[in-house]
Order: sequence, then C-alpha cells, then structure tokens
Amino acid sequence: MIEVRGLTKRYGDVLAVDDLSFDVEPGKVTGFLGPNGAGKSTTMRMMLGLDRPTSGKALVNGRTFTMLAEPLREVGALLDPGSVHPGRTGRNHLRVAARANGIPERRIAEVIEQVGLGRAAGRRIKGYSLGMRQRLGIAAALLADPRVLLFDEPMNGLDLDGVRWIRGLLRRLADEGRTVLVSSHLLSEMEQTADRLVVIGRGRLIADATTEEILRGLGHRQVRVRTSQPDQLLTRLEEHGFTVQRVDAHELRVEESTAEQVGDLANSFHLPLHHLSDVQQSLERAYLALTSDHVEHHAREAERAPTTMEAAQ
Amino acid sequence: MTAPSTTPALRGLAEDVSTGRVFARTCAAEWTRLWTVKATWWFLAAAAVAMVGLGAVAGFDAAADPVPPQGDPAWLVSSISAMPAQFALLAFTLIAVTSDYATGGIVPTLQWTPRRAVLFLARAIVTAGAATSAGVLLGLASALAAFAAARPGLSLPLDEGIEVLATVAFVFAAGTVLAVGLGFLLRNTAGGLVAVFLLMLVLPLLLPQFGYEWMSALAEILPGSGAAFLLLKGVPGMTTVSSVLVLLAWAGGALLLGWLRLMRDDANR
Repeated sequence: MIEVRGLTKRYGDVLAVDDLSFDVEPGKVTGFLGPNGAGKSTTMRMMLGLDRPTSGKALVNGRTFTMLAEPLREVGALLDPGSVHPGRTGRNHLRVAARANGIPERRIAEVIEQVGLGRAAGRRIKGYSLGMRQRLGIAAALLADPRVLLFDEPMNGLDLDGVRWIRGLLRRLADEGRTVLVSSHLLSEMEQTADRLVVIGRGRLIADATTEEILRGLGHRQVRVRTSQPDQLLTRLEEHGFTVQRVDAHELRVEESTAEQVGDLANSFHLPLHHLSDVQQSLERAYLALTSDHVEHHAREAERAPTTMEAAQ
Repeated sequence: MTAPSTTPALRGLAEDVSTGRVFARTCAAEWTRLWTVKATWWFLAAAAVAMVGLGAVAGFDAAADPVPPQGDPAWLVSSISAMPAQFALLAFTLIAVTSDYATGGIVPTLQWTPRRAVLFLARAIVTAGAATSAGVLLGLASALAAFAAARPGLSLPLDEGIEVLATVAFVFAAGTVLAVGLGFLLRNTAGGLVAVFLLMLVLPLLLPQFGYEWMSALAEILPGSGAAFLLLKGVPGMTTVSSVLVLLAWAGGALLLGWLRLMRDDANR
C-alpha cells in the first residue's frame, strides 16, 4: 500500500509535482502515466526518500521510507537502471544490497536466475546492455521479496521477449497480493498490463481510476465512412441528428454513432459505401485527450486539477 | 486490505531491527562496495609502491653510504614515505565517496540504506578506517623494507616505532576524514581531488613563497602544513599542537559540511 498525500516538489520556480494525492493498492498493477516531464520520476523519488518533498508526504505500508531499517524487505524499486557503478559485477552489486539489508547470500543466486541474468552476473556492469541493466535492477528490487514494488519505465530498452517477461512478472507480483506501481509512457503497454491508472500532467493529478473506466469515460464513439456520394450521405446523416465531419473528398467521421447505424441509414437511401468502421478508442488517444486537455486547463491557470469525471467529459 | 500470504514477505511488516544492527550491516555493505571496484586496489597499490619502494631505496642508500649508519632507527623512512603516499590514500577515500555520485550509484545506495545518518557514519568509518589502517601497515612495511635493505645499518626500536606509526595514523586519519567530508560536500570527483590537493599540497607550499606575512599565516592554518610538520618537521611557524589542531579542525569542519549536504539535499540533484 502506498499513500501519497499532498505531495509537492518545487525546483526554484518550477513546480515539478503539484499537490499530488493518490493511493496505490495491493493486488493490482497500477500504471503511473504522464508525458515526459510530468513529474512521474520525481514522485517516485520522493516515495523512496531520495528527493525531499517541498510539502506533503508519501507513506509506504503506513511509514515513511526513510525510517525503514530493512527497506528492501518492504519496497523493491527500479528507477534509472543506468544508476550503478559500471566497474562492479552484477553479482557484487546485488551482494552490497544483500549485506545492507541482512539478506542471505543464497537469495542472490535465486534472483539472478529469476531475472535470467545467468552467467552475465559475473561480468562487470559496464558490458551490460540496457536490457541487462534493467534485469539487474529488477533483481535488486526482488531481492528481499518485498510487498511493494516500484518500477520506473521498466520496459525501456527491452526487446519483445523482455517486454513480455516484464508484463508477466508485473501480473504475477500483483496476483501474489503485492502493491505494484509502474510508470510508463508506453500507453499501449499499460492498456494491457495495468488494472488501474494514475495519470498526471505537469505534476498534477489528471485521472485516477481503473483502466476500463478511463477508456470508457473518454471513449466517444466514432464511425469512419467512405462513399462516392459524401454530400448526400452527410445531408442524410445530419437530418437524422448525427454530428458529421468531412475528412476529405470521400470520407466522413460520424460522432456518437455505430457502424450499424450508419450502414443501415446509408442502405435505406441506397448510398454506396466503400468503407465503414468503428474508430478504435485506444488508451493512447484517451491519454492524449486527457493530457492535452490538462495543458489547456493549466494555461488558463485552473484553480485545481480536474477530477476524473471532469477530465473524462 | 488483506493480502494473500503466498510469500513470507506478505505475512506482515518486517521485524524492527535495532539501529546498531542496521549500522553494522551498512558497514558490511560499505566494505563490500569499497573492495569490489578496481580504483580502490589501484590507489592502494600506488600507496604501497610509494611507501615500500621508498623504504627499500632509503635502505639501500644507507647500506651503500661510505660511512654506513650505526643503528639509526629505520622508522624515519615510514614518516618520510607517508608524505607522498598520503595522496594515493586521499584519492582512495575521496573516490570511494564521489564515485557513487559520478555513476548515479547513490540512488540504489540510498534505496538500500535510506537512513542517511547511518550511511554517512558507515561510509566515513569504513573508507577512512580502511585507508588509515592500510597506511599504517604500509608504514610498518616501509620501515621493515628499509631495515632489511640496509642490514645491519639500521635498527627498529619499538618505542620509536609506536610513536612514528601513531603519528602516521593520525595524519592519514585526519586527511582521509577530510576527503570523506569534501566528497560528500562536493559530490564530484574532479572537484574533490582538486580541493584535496590544493589544501594538502599546493597552497601550503605555494603561499609562503610570495613573501607576504598574511599569506604565510594563511598557509599555517591549512591542513597540508599540519600534515607536513607532523611527518617531516621543519615547517616554519608550525608546532605539534598547532598541527594537530589544524588537522582536527579541517577534518571536523569538512565532515560537518558533508554531513549537512547529505542530510538536507536531494540524493543527487
């Protein structure tokens, strides 16, 4: 369980994180989404006590991270996988972590095996690919079997196998009842992985809801239709109360409709159709809608971040 | 919010561990961190070459002297060779602190030991302690090398040995603690090395050369002057007491500033 309450971080004139509050619950994968510079990493760093909040707090299992005696038994985290001494071997890197938290030596071999680092563990980290560094960081996070896991962009630099592996790992960790927070800009990835989404933009909370709710709340249905007689179809559609957009010479977009409605209507007027489809509302689009909306709000100096429902409308 | 108990960690909060235990573990981690990078071994090797090499050379010189020394103590060599060797040990300590900042390794370090006061003390004690202990052993080896090379010209009187090695230990300890403090304060290897060399070598040598009284007075309150007096004597204006006080003040001051930076600032921003 992670509780974030009024978390704020100011760097000089820049407000990197602005009065952020949300919970990350156990047993779920929570996606932490936002465009670059939205404050995701800064928020995670504050959760881990690396950066000092200007105000507010973040509690992990009810306690401040910096008070923990055996932090690795509570929270495993992967931030920047490049933040390691390149001259040390992977195994020695993990050995330092184990010593600092009183973790038995045998766990090192276990996590090396678990993340598939294998023989590379005996080599210096400077020879590792980004993907291998990610795996090493994940090995350190899993070392003491923690109940809370934080991953900052864990899919970065991984090949397809690696991405699949992480996806499975996140699911398994959440299914075991752990609290899992994953930041990512790979929105399509979060669509498949996250049960819940916390979306931020410019350091402010934009949405905090289940992935499904966010998709549904934002998904205004749209139909794409191509015809040789667009003018007639447009007129007929508007007569029947639809909002229609002319995209090009032969294509129309019909708001708040379905392919069946548009197809039946065209048929009743004997208008030929060359293409008819529902436009897929992906999280990507939903997310862009959310964040661009937020940028506008921000520009107008909104008093507060819109709630999920406001943002969804 | 109950979670299924599928793994040991999910059954309850981790047991509370005493601060003493946390400190001991952090020291163990710092020890591993120190000796698992090459730089540590390189600087130690440099110090060893300087101290043992100079000891052997001095011994052979003494043996080759047309009027060989009649049982002079070999310990003198320990403190003379400590003068150049201290810079290898200062770099050893400084880099043990700053490499965490240079590589970003401070991020996992503070994730594994979020209690910064514990980390600070453990790192200061382990790095400065290791450098000082190694320096004293090398001082002993330096005198033994001189003794062996000059046999039977030099002697190894015990009481003088203890005094010389204790002096060497004090100078190394004060210098390396200063380096730890500067490392935490500056968070930068190049800047730290420049600062250490300016304070310990360049300024104490250079300032008196200009002939202004205030510059000489300034040189007398720099740590390098204290170290040079204790190891070599013959530094004008310094006494044993002033040397000890100057070294302690600098070591303590740098440690305090490094501590404040670590405790107050963000990890590495």
